[in-house]
Amino acid sequence: MSGSPRACADPAILNLWHPVAAIPELTVAGDTSMLLGSRIAYGTNDGLEPWVRRLDTDASVPVRIEFGFLWACFGDPPDSLFEIPEAAEPDRRILNAGSIKVATSAPRAVENFLDMGHFPYVHTGILGEEPRTEVVEYRAALENDEVWARDCQFYQPVASAAADAGQMTDYTYRVPHPYCVLLYKSVPTDPSRRDVIGLFVQAMTEETIRAHNFICMVDETTSDTGLRRFQQMIFSQDKPILENQHPKRLPLDPRIETPIRADQSAIVYRRWLIDMGVTYAVIPAA
Amino acid sequence: MIQLYNYDLSVNCYKQRLMMNILDVEYESIPVDFFPGWEHKSPEFKAINPLGHIPVIVDGDYTLRDAHAILIYLAAKYDPTGRWYPTDDPELVGEVAQWMLFAEGTTNTASAARLHDNLGYEFDIDEVRAGAHRLFRVLDEHLWFREREGRDWICSAQHPTIADLAIFPDVMLSEEGGISRRPYPALRRWTDRVRRLHGFTPMPGISPASPLAVPSPALRESH
Amino acid sequence: MTDDNQILDADRWFPIGRTDDAPFRHVHQAKLLGRELAVWRADDGFVNVWDNRCLHRGVRLTVGMNEGVELRCLYHGWRYASRTGGCTYIPAHPADAPAQTICNRTFPAVERDGLIWTTLGDNGPHEPPPEAGLDNAFALRSLPFSAAPDLVRRHLEATDSSARFFVQPVDAHECVVHSVLLETPAADEQISTWRHHADTLTGVRDEVEAIAARLPTPEPLTVALERIEPREQGVPMPRARTDAQLRVTIARKWTTATGVVALELESIDDPLPAPQPGSHIDVHLPNGLVRQYSLTNRSGDAANYVIGVKLEPESRGGSSCVHDVLREGDVVAISAPRNNFTLRRDASHTTLIAGGIGLTPLLAMAETLHDSGLSYTLHAFAQSTDHLAFADRIADLGEGAVTHLGASPAETGAALDTILAARDDDSHVYICGPGPMLDAARTNAEAHGWPDASVHFEYFRNDTEIDDSTSFTLSLARSGLTLSVGAGETILEVLRSAGVAMPSSCEQGACGTCVVGVVSGTPLHQDVYLNPSERAAGDRIATCVSRSADTELVLDL
Repeated sequence: MSGSPRACADPAILNLWHPVAAIPELTVAGDTSMLLGSRIAYGTNDGLEPWVRRLDTDASVPVRIEFGFLWACFGDPPDSLFEIPEAAEPDRRILNAGSIKVATSAPRAVENFLDMGHFPYVHTGILGEEPRTEVVEYRAALENDEVWARDCQFYQPVASAAADAGQMTDYTYRVPHPYCVLLYKSVPTDPSRRDVIGLFVQAMTEETIRAHNFICMVDETTSDTGLRRFQQMIFSQDKPILENQHPKRLPLDPRIETPIRADQSAIVYRRWLIDMGVTYAVIPAA
Repeated sequence: MIQLYNYDLSVNCYKQRLMMNILDVEYESIPVDFFPGWEHKSPEFKAINPLGHIPVIVDGDYTLRDAHAILIYLAAKYDPTGRWYPTDDPELVGEVAQWMLFAEGTTNTASAARLHDNLGYEFDIDEVRAGAHRLFRVLDEHLWFREREGRDWICSAQHPTIADLAIFPDVMLSEEGGISRRPYPALRRWTDRVRRLHGFTPMPGISPASPLAVPSPALRESH
Repeated sequence: MTDDNQILDADRWFPIGRTDDAPFRHVHQAKLLGRELAVWRADDGFVNVWDNRCLHRGVRLTVGMNEGVELRCLYHGWRYASRTGGCTYIPAHPADAPAQTICNRTFPAVERDGLIWTTLGDNGPHEPPPEAGLDNAFALRSLPFSAAPDLVRRHLEATDSSARFFVQPVDAHECVVHSVLLETPAADEQISTWRHHADTLTGVRDEVEAIAARLPTPEPLTVALERIEPREQGVPMPRARTDAQLRVTIARKWTTATGVVALELESIDDPLPAPQPGSHIDVHLPNGLVRQYSLTNRSGDAANYVIGVKLEPESRGGSSCVHDVLREGDVVAISAPRNNFTLRRDASHTTLIAGGIGLTPLLAMAETLHDSGLSYTLHAFAQSTDHLAFADRIADLGEGAVTHLGASPAETGAALDTILAARDDDSHVYICGPGPMLDAARTNAEAHGWPDASVHFEYFRNDTEIDDSTSFTLSLARSGLTLSVGAGETILEVLRSAGVAMPSSCEQGACGTCVVGVVSGTPLHQDVYLNPSERAAGDRIATCVSRSADTELVLDL
């Protein structure tokens, strides 16, 4: 893509909070990056208050801190970001597992996170393995203007950093924001509770992102390094796949690609983007 | 048991994991929180390697840093065939050294581009990408002529050496730095051969190749 | 090379690699006029040139695996067959036959002069232009150039060389220069010849690239995103029961066992659709009868179809026609394959039990599993060695096949008992043979606690019974047609049988392509595409999977 990247003009996207950096990354000297096609600078002042500045308009933009990340809004900021009640529980390990740049669009990254059919092939021996490749029917639908996929199940050889044997794992997926996705899976040591793993995607341009990995888990034994390692390994296995997908922007026309029943959550997600009128980082339907 | 200060996504650490898997050498991986922890720059780690780099190996009382030095040590010590680092053949070991230095070049170009694109490291990205392409052109032509001679590996022996392992991961992950391998068909075929080595182990972005065909029953002797 | 200026680049043939660039079990990555291509040689030597994009989610096929007969995508493991590019297996849904509309865009490949040639267009010549004097051409090293193809061509024309150059236009600012010598040098001079010409061409490249670097960089070529349409070529559209769309000749006819004749069917027109193990075709016999026969082809092997036909003692004219009337060279009409007996590839072990000519679909399954390195056992029951069909192919399976010859009904029952006693939760059994054997197997399987979902039967009869008890009437409001949809039939199939052109894509209720309007009646939704309010409104229906809750459904067609 030559020339300047296209700046986002969708109200549905502009009037949302977007992730910019993990709090420990912020410096007083400041760093530069991109968000929604515009160059930004971000950092923290002496009083440890974070700031974000658009470099094209030379204006400060509203910011907030949530879940250990700095979020910014280019338009009218909503009163709240989506909620994750589990994050308030006192024994939770809340970590950023790394912010990694990927040459793909934000919706492609979200869809990949929702997908289970690739577990035996991309996350071999960790989240899935042949011959247990079947994706059994699950339920995906819009609930309170968020995409939810429930009753998802997949056989996993090693389900998390704390597990050491294979099991059928139950998953619930949630897309509370066009570019953010959460996964809930039962805590191995306490099935009444759920671990939350998230991908908060910073759409730098339509075809490049910084994927912020978020962990909100109940785990007394694994070190921070160990938890990060696991999530980074999983995400890094997805990265070359994402970078080998074409087109990079998510095509919303249902005849460009062939979904199957296992893609039900992606089907609901794409229709949701269409209904929201999103044109940024997607290829609108003809 | 050997200890490897390791980060799963590091190309240079992967070279050691690959060598030790091929040689069937047991090791213990000591995870270093390279990113976002920058643990390799911590005072505690610099006590082990003052340059603040991984990998480092500790083998009993012996400590060694630098990916390509470690490959030499592992091959020299643990390869009973003496083929991975063939010190008994001066010309061949000279070739290995020549191509290990080439691997320094691929690290400073292709792997630098990958660090820039993945983790935001500061490099002149156009310069390192152009540098990688220059090296890949040379390697592609070199491997093409090797194929015409009936040879499969970088050095002139009929078996791989540590030169193949030192260069392979930088090449295989080049696309993560925006360097396509499409113009280099001989290079792409060589990466298939490395991925078919007995003891090959994967990492994100480096997966096994499809197995070669078993000769058809018609070609087997009748019994 | 003289350019014929009247042929557009898009219709012209270009080389995209050397023959050596497509060795077995490799996928070569090429690009032509801005379009990426995946080039791979199947184990039978056939060179495939496909769009470098998996139809599922657009992942490059060049990072996938060439498994000899099929190409496997790295993302979800979808398998695509050589020759047709048709999808033959989707691991996420191991029990479903992929819709035949899931088929890659393929381009022709011709190997000539040590190079692989292709064309992207439909309107040009049918093969690469003949070059005088290239019968013994010696292909030199191909070199990538970072420069516009026209600039490179002009420089090559001015280059003094005994080589003949062919420029492959990769993109606006990139090409590959292939070159050949008209005569092959002596064996001991080949390496020096290659080196000499590679050095010369490298020198040209240095000059051209220096010039190109001073010119403005042109925009890359854009290739339009194509919608997946059901294709005419090689993938017949309507899957009607009685329509035959494919014409084949009998390339070979031979006796494979006592009373069993094998036919090898070769396409006359377009390439045959990729076969899936367990699938069968309708064969339209010259006496007007239509009979179904299973394909013995392993997954993806679509060179020619091979079927086996047993002479039935009370043949009503079907098998006797095949045995006595059909000759090699005869032209016969067949349907595209249908698959009601799909092979899962996710079992820990697959047991295949074949009675007599019931072997045919199970041989296809056994060979597919054998090639994939999956665990299986084929039990072939036959009257005697002479009655064992395709014995050579069974022998090739080695320890994977066990023959049971001359077993009496009691011995067969005992053998089934032993075979089915070995059960584990992730195994599957496929059984095909005469009625009494299947009944015995069914009883035995139940007794050993096999779940219904793990045991698959195909009754080897020629007429299919339709259970009317869950059928409904389908009326088309605009065309006035009244049709009947029975159990086991989909609305989509019935519409197509009646000659109504219907688009489809996934045929699983996921993509929405086959959705049509409902005028009256209550749809029974079984898709995953329509959202809850669309379902509640009841005014549209996914015809590939959904049915009617009442006895009559009226569609807006």
